[in-house]
Amino acid sequence: MNKTAKKYLKNSIITLGVLAGCFGVSLLLHELLQIKGPITAIFVFGVFLISLTTDGYIFGLAAAFISVFAVNFAFAFPYFSFNFAIPENFVSALVMIVIALMTSTLISRLKAWQEIRAEGERERMRANLLRAVSHDLRTPLTTIYGSSSAILDSGDNIDEERKKRIIAGIKEDSEWLIRMVENLLSVTRIDSGSVEIIKTPTVLYELVDTVILKFKKRYPDKQVEIDIPEELVMIPMDAMLIGQVIINLLENAVQHAQGMTKLEFRVFVLGDKAIFEVKDNGCGIEQERLDKIFDGYFALNDDRSDTGKRNAGIGLSVCSTIIKAHGGRIKAENAKDGGAIFRFSLNTTEDTDYDNEKQ
Amino acid sequence: MITKSNNKYKVLLVEDEENIRTFVCALLEANGYQAIPAKSFGEAKLLYLSYIPDLVILDLGLPDRDGSALLSEIREKDTTPVIILSARGDEGEKVRLLDMGANDYITKPFGSAELLARVRTALRNSRPSAEEGKLPGGKFTLGELVIDYDSRRVFIGEAEIKFTQTEYNIMAYLSANPGKVMTYSSIIRTVWRESSDENSIKKLQVNMANIRKKLGAKPGEVGYVVNELGVGYRMGD
Repeated sequence: MNKTAKKYLKNSIITLGVLAGCFGVSLLLHELLQIKGPITAIFVFGVFLISLTTDGYIFGLAAAFISVFAVNFAFAFPYFSFNFAIPENFVSALVMIVIALMTSTLISRLKAWQEIRAEGERERMRANLLRAVSHDLRTPLTTIYGSSSAILDSGDNIDEERKKRIIAGIKEDSEWLIRMVENLLSVTRIDSGSVEIIKTPTVLYELVDTVILKFKKRYPDKQVEIDIPEELVMIPMDAMLIGQVIINLLENAVQHAQGMTKLEFRVFVLGDKAIFEVKDNGCGIEQERLDKIFDGYFALNDDRSDTGKRNAGIGLSVCSTIIKAHGGRIKAENAKDGGAIFRFSLNTTEDTDYDNEKQ
Repeated sequence: MITKSNNKYKVLLVEDEENIRTFVCALLEANGYQAIPAKSFGEAKLLYLSYIPDLVILDLGLPDRDGSALLSEIREKDTTPVIILSARGDEGEKVRLLDMGANDYITKPFGSAELLARVRTALRNSRPSAEEGKLPGGKFTLGELVIDYDSRRVFIGEAEIKFTQTEYNIMAYLSANPGKVMTYSSIIRTVWRESSDENSIKKLQVNMANIRKKLGAKPGEVGYVVNELGVGYRMGD
């Protein structure tokens, strides 16, 4: 369905619902308890609520006008007829319209401000990522540059055995660079402007199959236990990006779950959500890292030395960026029986309320 | 084993990056192929006409013209297998090139094992009388899998797998082009005789899910049908 049409429908329903509520309460007060003092106040509150929850000015204003007429018609003397000659009615009308206008203005400003703040946050994340990455690119580049020039310049004096080891080092560090670049490309694919990612219905089996084959190619000696639904599950997603998330999570377990002997990957469907779960039985995650684990690299690595190739922070923050862009959720926790669990969810239905959630 | 009636297979490598050209040529020569390097569209066209290579490895970003132009010129008259070297991740581009007649694509960066495997597959399938694939008796075999084209039956080892007409047609089409990625649209065109849209792709994916189940495929294990996510399917590898 058309998004704007849907928005209008939603706003209309809110407006009518709140107004009907106000009318009902007022009617009760007036007819049963013979109280009419707070009736104007009730409608003022209704107008305030509508301005607060709907988009733009129109619905708040419309509600104000309807309320003015409703109060005037049903609850102000003379009953069940219009009379704007009484100053009291006129003043209450004016108050309601002003409240509608002011609330709507305030809300629009608040939304704009939030947008600016989110933009700033994204900008900061990007800058931090760039800084962290450039720093980490140096280590493998040193290996590659140094090793290859060593072989070129003094290859004759290096024995075959050692030469092989040096070349293997070049290969290993290039592989690390490849992974890093894949992650960066994924992020830029999302970050390029405010363009929403393109979701294609993807067969879960085919995604998992492709990802696990890729993972096994990288880590031939690692076993992954896989558990996915028997039936055909279609999930709208950017398959390449979600594949990247799964690879990153599995890789994270391989690199950081010390003492891991079992790695599980599970997907199940719960209502209109598909839950993806990567679970290991390694050392788990320290409590203070847990909250910030997806925030990126920088937060975790104040104490790091230059020796480690720790792209974990980047890998996980890329995961979080991708899942958020899909309108899903991602979470890390420690399992009760030890080890870490990373879990993310995606909507299995095409239409998400992502637009509204974003605000 | 690789040599073709005492001659080496001739592989035309079209790539403007000198470093890539150097190592791919070295790799090909070391594995018994004759490598013919070209660094531009013009040079490639000239070398293609004078050498008549058995295989073309084609980079898309050439200085003078886009590599896909060479692909369409080759396809105007020849069936010479063409492997595309592509940048990562653009499924739309992959589909377009495969539908234009490319046999395969390799994503940069690639390793030596991957490149050699694709080269072998592409050359194997272009041979008129392949040891694998279609046998004289109208049969296709791949590991335990046997497809009998005459009786339209499929076996794994001794056991017959019961496929529906549609499922069989998909399998037959994929097996007629072993190792080659068949795009969703080309399968749909052949099996249903209609153009592909979201619904027909879904129809194909549903049939594929049933085929997988009947073949006993498990996710993450190499099976008979390889998923090329967002692009299509490939029989064997």
